[in-house]
Amino acid sequence: MPHFYFHVSNGTGETRDEEGVDLPDVAAAHAQALSGIRSILREELGRGVLDFGGMIRVTDPQGRLVLEVPFDSAVEVRHDDRRR
Amino acid sequence: MMTAAAERDPFAGAAPWADRLLMKLRQRDDIDAEEEAALRSIIEPPQAYPARRVIIEEGEPLERSALLVEGLLARFKDMRDGQQQISELHVAGDFADLHSFTLKRLDHGILTLTPCRIGWVGHDALIAMFERFPHLGRLLWFSTNLDAAIHRAWTVSLGRRDAVARLAHLLCELQVRLEIVGLADPTGYPLALTQNDLANCLGLTSVHVNRVLRELRERELVTFRGGHVTIADRAGLCDLAEFSADYLFLEKRPR
Repeated sequence: MPHFYFHVSNGTGETRDEEGVDLPDVAAAHAQALSGIRSILREELGRGVLDFGGMIRVTDPQGRLVLEVPFDSAVEVRHDDRRR
Repeated sequence: MMTAAAERDPFAGAAPWADRLLMKLRQRDDIDAEEEAALRSIIEPPQAYPARRVIIEEGEPLERSALLVEGLLARFKDMRDGQQQISELHVAGDFADLHSFTLKRLDHGILTLTPCRIGWVGHDALIAMFERFPHLGRLLWFSTNLDAAIHRAWTVSLGRRDAVARLAHLLCELQVRLEIVGLADPTGYPLALTQNDLANCLGLTSVHVNRVLRELRERELVTFRGGHVTIADRAGLCDLAEFSADYLFLEKRPR
């Protein structure tokens, strides 16, 4: 099974992934990146911060970039104002 | 003298797979030589299991319990969408499922997270032992109560701690539990778990766990690298986690 590394860059700096995860394919790696972003955002929201200025870079064992997943791609933000 | 001892205690000098169980129990109460021999005698010689093997399926009928002799086990539940939640980790010296003695089946599975050695204990052997040694019955009852206390502590963590404090709390807890059985000291311990295993314990993703580990490293509290936890500032780590070992019931008293 392919192995992927998930490196996170956000307001706190860069976090390299030295361990990685076995996943079936790139689509699964994308899904993993999205759930990782949402987990981080959920946490920060609890402290009153929502920082979309982050990125997950997914690499293969040779260090080649497989995917870039921006934080804002993991969330749909709605603005419809129903306060009438 | 030797002969008399052998006649009285045919299991004297028996193989050491009960050693860590005895260390765990003797932290909390005295166990005399006769009780020790009885406990050693009911544990079957360990079987080896590879990592990532479900050794007990949720719901399967059970007539024996698993004593973890070496390695790390998890109590787990898988969700339909493939996510896994681990509800407790077991270290050497723990019974993984003593509660199966009364429950007869489990509401969760048991999985090896590392290669493990398990000494099985038949429930019929437990019944016979409890009749002769009710104190041992109470001590094994204590150990299931201890598991319940660990579950309550994990519930509090999952419900009310943020990710950093949650991970810090788990690392503090494991340090105490492993030190009791001689597998840790205040500066750290081996922990052959992946970030994904930690994520499954903490209700996080492995990506997030990696972020949290970096934060704990930068705060110079603890480092987890290459399967080893190195505690730089134990007081600081426990304070961040609001960790108190009271729920691990470390005091020794008649039980």
